[in-house]
Amino acid sequence: MDALLDRRLLVVTGKGGTGKSTLSAALALLASRRGKKVLVCEVVARERVSDFFGRPPSGPTIRQLLPNLYSVHVRPREAMHEYALMILRYETLYKLAFENAAARYFLAAAPSLAEIVMLGKVWWHATQEMERGKPRWDLVVLDAPATGHGLTFLSVPAVFLRLVKEGPLARDMRGMQSLLADPVRCAISIVTLPEEMPANEAIELDRALRSGGFPAGPLFLNGFFASRFSAQEVAQVTRGGPALAAAGEAADNHESRSELSAHYEGVLRKEIPRELLRVPFLFDRQFGAQSIEKVASAIAGSS
Amino acid sequence: MRPLAQVLEGRKVICCVGSGGVGKTTVAAALALSAAIEGKRALVLTIDPARRLANSLGLKELGNQETRIAPELFAQAGLHPRGEMWAMMLDLKLTWDELVERQARSPEQARAILTNKLYQTLSTAMAGSLEYMAMEKVYEVHTARRFDVVVLDTPPTTNALDFLHASDRILDVLDNDAMRIILGPMLRAGKLWFKLLAAPSAMVLRTLARFTGTDFLRDLADFMIAFEGMYEGFKERAARVKALLTSPEAGFVLVTAPNPLTIQEALFFHQALREDRIATAAVVVNRVQRDPRRHGGPDNVAAMREALMLAQIKDSGDLAERLCTTLTEQSMLADLERREVERLSRTLSGVPLLIVPRLRKDVHDLSGLWQIDQFLGGQ
Repeated sequence: MDALLDRRLLVVTGKGGTGKSTLSAALALLASRRGKKVLVCEVVARERVSDFFGRPPSGPTIRQLLPNLYSVHVRPREAMHEYALMILRYETLYKLAFENAAARYFLAAAPSLAEIVMLGKVWWHATQEMERGKPRWDLVVLDAPATGHGLTFLSVPAVFLRLVKEGPLARDMRGMQSLLADPVRCAISIVTLPEEMPANEAIELDRALRSGGFPAGPLFLNGFFASRFSAQEVAQVTRGGPALAAAGEAADNHESRSELSAHYEGVLRKEIPRELLRVPFLFDRQFGAQSIEKVASAIAGSS
Repeated sequence: MRPLAQVLEGRKVICCVGSGGVGKTTVAAALALSAAIEGKRALVLTIDPARRLANSLGLKELGNQETRIAPELFAQAGLHPRGEMWAMMLDLKLTWDELVERQARSPEQARAILTNKLYQTLSTAMAGSLEYMAMEKVYEVHTARRFDVVVLDTPPTTNALDFLHASDRILDVLDNDAMRIILGPMLRAGKLWFKLLAAPSAMVLRTLARFTGTDFLRDLADFMIAFEGMYEGFKERAARVKALLTSPEAGFVLVTAPNPLTIQEALFFHQALREDRIATAAVVVNRVQRDPRRHGGPDNVAAMREALMLAQIKDSGDLAERLCTTLTEQSMLADLERREVERLSRTLSGVPLLIVPRLRKDVHDLSGLWQIDQFLGGQ
């Protein structure tokens, strides 16, 4: 875990609904506890991480959630604005060029320009340095879009550079590409669940990421059920008569889910050459800071 | 009328929508299966690049072609459909190419577009492209009238509006007046276009070029030249697609999981549909935990120990404690989910709400789909 948290950029990706935001928050929390200054960048439609810690949404400005832990919601419009201003330097010029119907068109037509500026902003945070070469952030955690979109997202620099070879955007894209390919500074993690479809998608995603040359971070198997009853116990309690009907059903449910967990763990270990970390299923009435704590200690403990 | 029949009745197109990971593909396939069982020729159209449908139907491969689910598979599952079930996985690039070929005014124009460098990226990488092509394919299949019902498994769009307004956004790219004006001089100037960059009127062009380089703008101009005159056809077709989706022949089924986040998304989706004057035909809440405590029985460790003793089960360790923990966990989960479903039902009063409990095993074959149909049917 130490080696993982020593990276500059951690990308957390996977199928929708597997718990990418949860793992992003937990990784950030672990790093912040180790004295690192951490920024979580969320690029999906709705930000979640600030809410986990009971804080109001951060929106497009960086806000502190906990000591050493910050978050920002990266949205295409504002990212475009900031990015364009960095290059153009004049608001009036920006307005003229971008706040018109043509810019709307341009945002849609230039291949994934929205993704480019968002990734550009994340890259900027990850490589931003203060005076005397000290980085502003020790670690940037990127909560990436779901599988299909996530892969598109990470491939954006390569796709863009095939079409555009000159200009400041192309120059920055090269920088991003080299960061995303550097195993010393960056790692791409996958989050999945012990279910058929998410497991299959994780396998495909892992292959695509490896063939794309992205440095491999761990695979998080979220929603894990550890076995709690022997087969004999389940059989006995299930046949134990009406007084044990509820207990029998609960034990049987639990074991059927733990069997699935063990089965998919086996499949994933066989198919995906990454470190696999189990994250237990949480029975939390309110999903909040305590839940993130549990996830953080699970991944810190299992490595 | 049974709830499922109510959803299917008179519908020729059913769109399953909802956030990712809720089991949309499974529900879409189950709806198609149900229609096939009842005697219809049903097609389920899936889009997901991760080939989920192929998984859930036990198929190894699923091309852009309509593939009939083998009768032997039904027989193995003990099912005897009166109709037929077909499946298709959307190939994004191919669907675009077919659309261009169909709409082009000449084979030359089609070729010019299909070989354009920018088109090749745009057609696959542009945001909303998948959603647009999914609707386009549904329309195409529907108008060919080869099927009684087409069930669409939509891409896992987080934003409902992305799905409904995908065609508007793409069409805006294909023909944008403002861009046409900016690129206008380039479009007309042919090979000497770069001289134009020096002209004072080309300020905007110059600014854009600072970001992307001039090659990209040139490619864009080429693309727009190639597309000349096709826009109207595209627009008209998109309008007909939209008319179909908003007609009584089409029904939207919202699929959700029983957790606060996805339910939030479902409500958001429902609202977006309403703003587009589309009624939600049904809501399916998938994988709902049943409360084991509905059976009653001991609710504390001491009582559990006694019940185990009475049943002559040896508690060699902490079996009673483990059983109580497990009961508490599942009961709490069931309670949490019940509240969420109630909240959903209150907000969506009048919309049929179908509950599918969490099954002991993953659904990956026809018998699993049929099991889901039993719950959708309210049995």
